[in-house]
Amino acid sequence: MSTATQAAIDNTFDDPGRRAPLITGGQDYTSVTDMVCSLAERRQPPLAWYVAFGISSTLAAMFFGLIGYLIVTGIGVWGNNAPVFWAFDIVNFVFWVGIGHAGTLISAILFLFRQNWRTSINRFAEAMTIFAVTCAAIFPGIHVGRVWFAYWLAPYPAQHLEMWPNFRSPLLWDVFAVNTYASISALFWYMGMIPDLATLRDRATTKWRQLAFGIAALGWNGSARHWMRYETAYMLLAALATPLVLSVHSVVSFDFAVSQVPGWHTTIFPPYFVAGAVFGGFAMVILLIVPARQWFGLKHLITLRHLENMNKILLATGTIVGSAYAIEFFIAWYGGNAYERFAFINRALGPYAWSYWTMIACNLGASQFLWLKKVRTTPWMMLIVAAAVTVGMWFERFVIIVTSLSRDFLPSSWGFYKPTAIDILMFIGSFGLFFTMFLLFVRYLPMVAMAEVKSMMPHGHEEEH
Amino acid sequence: MAEQMSNQSEPETKLVGLLAEFRSPEKLVAAAEQVREEGYRRIDAFTPFPVHGLDEALAIRPTVLPWVVLGAGVSGAVAALAGQWWTNTIDYPFVVSGKPLFSLPANIPVTFEVIILFAGFTAFFGMLVLNGLPRFVQPVFRSQRFRRATADRFFLLVEAADARFSVENTRQLLSAVGAAQVEELHDDASPIRLPSWIGWTLVTLAILALLPPLWIARARVVQSDQPRWHTFIDMDYQPKAKPQTVSTLFADGRADRLPVAGTVARGQLRDDVRLYQGIDPDAQTPQPEPSNPEPPHPEPSNPSEPKPEAAKPADAAASEPAVAWVTEIPLPVTDPMMRRGQQQYNIYCAACHGLAGEGDGLVARRAQELQQGTWLPPTSLHSEPVRLQPVGQLFHTISHGVRKMPPYAAQISVPDRWAIVLYIRALQRTQNAKPEDVPSETWKAMQP
Amino acid sequence: MKERESLSVSEVTCLSPSAVCWARRLAAVGVGSLLLSFLASFALRDGFSRFLLAYLVSFCFCLSLSLGALFFVVLQHLTRAGWSVAVRRLGEILAAALPVWSLLFLPILFLVLVGDGSLYPWNDAAHVEHDPLLQAKQPYLNAPFFAIRALLYFAVWAWIARFYWRHSLAQDETGDKSHTLAMQRRAGISLVAFGLTVTFASFDWLMSLDPHWFSTIFGVYFFAGCVVAAFAALVLIAVSLQKFGYLQDSITADHYHDLGKLLFGFTFFWGYIAFSQYMLIWYADIPEETVWYLTRQSHGWAAISLFLLGGHFLLPFCGLMPRRAKRNKRVLAAWAAWLLVMHWVDLYWLAVPHAGSGPAFSVLDLLCLAGMAGLYGAVLLRIAADRQLIPRRDPWLAESLAFRNG
Repeated sequence: MSTATQAAIDNTFDDPGRRAPLITGGQDYTSVTDMVCSLAERRQPPLAWYVAFGISSTLAAMFFGLIGYLIVTGIGVWGNNAPVFWAFDIVNFVFWVGIGHAGTLISAILFLFRQNWRTSINRFAEAMTIFAVTCAAIFPGIHVGRVWFAYWLAPYPAQHLEMWPNFRSPLLWDVFAVNTYASISALFWYMGMIPDLATLRDRATTKWRQLAFGIAALGWNGSARHWMRYETAYMLLAALATPLVLSVHSVVSFDFAVSQVPGWHTTIFPPYFVAGAVFGGFAMVILLIVPARQWFGLKHLITLRHLENMNKILLATGTIVGSAYAIEFFIAWYGGNAYERFAFINRALGPYAWSYWTMIACNLGASQFLWLKKVRTTPWMMLIVAAAVTVGMWFERFVIIVTSLSRDFLPSSWGFYKPTAIDILMFIGSFGLFFTMFLLFVRYLPMVAMAEVKSMMPHGHEEEH
Repeated sequence: MAEQMSNQSEPETKLVGLLAEFRSPEKLVAAAEQVREEGYRRIDAFTPFPVHGLDEALAIRPTVLPWVVLGAGVSGAVAALAGQWWTNTIDYPFVVSGKPLFSLPANIPVTFEVIILFAGFTAFFGMLVLNGLPRFVQPVFRSQRFRRATADRFFLLVEAADARFSVENTRQLLSAVGAAQVEELHDDASPIRLPSWIGWTLVTLAILALLPPLWIARARVVQSDQPRWHTFIDMDYQPKAKPQTVSTLFADGRADRLPVAGTVARGQLRDDVRLYQGIDPDAQTPQPEPSNPEPPHPEPSNPSEPKPEAAKPADAAASEPAVAWVTEIPLPVTDPMMRRGQQQYNIYCAACHGLAGEGDGLVARRAQELQQGTWLPPTSLHSEPVRLQPVGQLFHTISHGVRKMPPYAAQISVPDRWAIVLYIRALQRTQNAKPEDVPSETWKAMQP
Repeated sequence: MKERESLSVSEVTCLSPSAVCWARRLAAVGVGSLLLSFLASFALRDGFSRFLLAYLVSFCFCLSLSLGALFFVVLQHLTRAGWSVAVRRLGEILAAALPVWSLLFLPILFLVLVGDGSLYPWNDAAHVEHDPLLQAKQPYLNAPFFAIRALLYFAVWAWIARFYWRHSLAQDETGDKSHTLAMQRRAGISLVAFGLTVTFASFDWLMSLDPHWFSTIFGVYFFAGCVVAAFAALVLIAVSLQKFGYLQDSITADHYHDLGKLLFGFTFFWGYIAFSQYMLIWYADIPEETVWYLTRQSHGWAAISLFLLGGHFLLPFCGLMPRRAKRNKRVLAAWAAWLLVMHWVDLYWLAVPHAGSGPAFSVLDLLCLAGMAGLYGAVLLRIAADRQLIPRRDPWLAESLAFRNG
């Protein structure tokens, strides 16, 4: 077993013709296995885990309690009103779904582009996707009012209803898109974990762990024939997940863009939303992974180069989002539509101007700092940027949804929206749910895709990127 | 060839093969190539991650999985499109915001998602099925050293079933090609037998699982006189008295009550008989409410006969008891009232009576077309009996109906009814005007 | 596993001297065709407008190849890609045509500046007088600003193209890695500038043909078309060069596989953008937006629209899906050629319908296209003559030559 030093080796150098090492510290297969498995195998996680878990599970309990209160009492406990029929509920939904997209991008799209650096972070990011989509799916589920009838959305032969769902509605496309996304992401995540679960099974020391990991690993033995089919299935799932992730946030954007509301009906929404989702999602990944690599001693697997690459994607998508803002603004003027023009002026100068400028400052202002290599490669700096972007992306959805709804065509229909305490607490509670699931993940499951990392470690002929 | 391993508790084992351990993937690939060259065919390799070059070394053929996934994707597309087409155009067609029933652009997103769903699930489960997973009992798991196959060691298994297998020669070959260790792999030779309790448990569970669907199926066909279960109350039980139900508060046991004697509900006083009934109380001789006696149907057994038209209303009018109808509209007659009357007439009356009152409204014409044999054409408002009717009687007709015409009191407010009466008078004047009715300027302009 | 880390000695990496002669011949053919096309326009009703549209469409067609290639080149540097070095010089050659190609925009620019409204209705003063909406857009849609913006777009593109061309060529001589580092560092900001200029250029030159209409995704749509066309062009150029004996060993089935994957991916991306634009406008059914699509489904344009859907998206999607199709030069080249044709149809479909009449492909369009293509080919040959067709001393070349697709 090699002695891996904790000294951070800077592999962010740029030497054309020479690929930077993606794993530092002189690791070999054994040390990688030990590094990752020991985290899932230790009997007691550090105290900090318990503290964090306590806080997050309390918030999650609060979340579910508030959901119960909402279902029993009604949507009136939120601040939604006429005309602002969608507010925090849908903002949170889009926010969480968007965050989930980074995981799929890392798993699927970076895989198709042969970006080997993804192997250190993809397990982490995919888990984040599953948990984010779970949080996301709750909000449209509870915002329907009579939640116990939510199954009417499914296309089943409903004799007593004598009707079918309206497939021409983007709200129903959402049902299909989010459910497909949740299931395919879960399958992809689980499939990726099978070899690693087998590793944990084979290292298990207690009967319970043997049984649990044994069942979960489905009897995986690493046979070359199995690997061949596994790799094919992985590539197929990656090839399927790529258009899926594009389609899911496009379908979410259709919720708005197919309408006629000024500020909503604009053709650039699908790619703009997808870029925004990746933007917000990567920010969340960075927010989670920078502390994780520090506290779990994974700096040699999740190196500065990985962080820098993620920040570059953050910068790229942030720039795309900023360009989309500019194009929307320009076309609003160019189109000459008085309502559309007003919608944009209202965003910047109306009663919700504070949210608009927060969005601009966080999304554009903060992300542009990433042009500097120093910011891209310094963990505490990128944490600030990532936090700002997360806030900014939440506000972007708030700006789009609430300002457009509060003031659309007829001034007589204008109304003001204020969130209630329930709105805000539920939003915070959703973070509790997310982090609860996440903390359980880091405790019991392999955080890094060991098999994938090993497969691209240098042993003579392989190359890194 | 039953070699006993010392740690085997089972008396019966059989040799599965030789398991060679290698320290690096390159050595494994080279070894696999060489072993294959020696003529061995039943070999397999086990690695913690996919090793490139191993597929070629072992001559593993590509899998059929992509084709299966493609097929699943195509069937997903067909299923989604067919499903949307059938549900939204055949079984439950409804128009939403002007979209066509089968709107291909709007049906694409769901189709796309279903394609991905079918294809993705097929990829995952297809991979498992093709790999024969889950398979929890395998001979290789009996090897302690094999535990490192998922961590950092690389294994090659040469099965005893191979034609060229021999314990000594194969072991020698494996050591020669660079194996760090070679061990014999034994398996439990006794036939696998599941404990009997598993079978019984499964059967019991299957029977239990059938119960809910059977119960539901029974419930769908059996009728019950019990009220429905209310899992979610949903305002089903409301603390109010519904019409025609039982109430224990009153002696007659009814929830329906008449108004308290001697009271009048707000807005229901209606003591202005002229306004509310069109009857002049001063000129009134005590008369019972006219009852609109219908002349008996002349030929009930001969429905194909054309109906006699004008005779009937005249007869009916003649046989009615005399009522002192008001002859003047009891509201101020203004231009807005006339226009209101026109609007309301066009809404409520024109459907049968026609826009000009001729009795040729759309309903009348359609009914005539259908020739059902029960249709009585509406009276022409220009016929003399109707022209002679006082305004009060017209008002009464609108309020209470006459013959086949239903009462409109519930739909048209009292002032609107008077407005309609005013308009009817105007319509009647149009078909029965005298030169004096024409304004002088217009009359002059009309002269040749 | 074949180990090929350097160019084989027998590899021909430079065009033969006859390339310059061919360039001259193509230029002559090009100019001639254009002139013929112009003359032909006199024989047709509305000939001048139709000629201008044909000119615009063919100009944009060739321009889009260079723009897409520029995107490809800069993106490869941004991502430090290794596989593509073997074909990157071909992209650089396409992109290097941009400075010269901008000269061909001058006739349009001139027409706009003199106030001619045959191409752009917003430039017709009489037209604008009666149209309050156009008057409202005048701060943007006016001749001087249009000209300044056009100059800006070409300046930006020319600058980026020349930057990458110069550094890449310089590296051929010295092998100095600082060139690669410079190209890498500039890639991000270049792409930002590229994105914004391409977006607004498409608004100015194509979207404003129908000045009442607007679509925020239009720039992305045009961009998607550019990239598809550029990859198709790269494939065709690579296959043709290999047919004539150049770069026989350097460009392998693995490179074609990757080019095929990108072609496939961007074809899908184009379809996705096209669908987004269509579906959103169709769904909301707002007359000021649907009018653009209504034009494209009346007077015979419906057939072209369906042809575009099937030919630019459905067919190539199915055709490029199989792995074998992407690795086979002939099959891939066939699809690439098809996609280039479809890209031209796409541009035609974008530009021409607002003119009112149905799709009338005439000799005028073909001559114009032939003219532009001839000139474009001449420019490319001229640029490529005396230059290496592969960046011989690029630090990533070894990786590219050894590249195996999985």
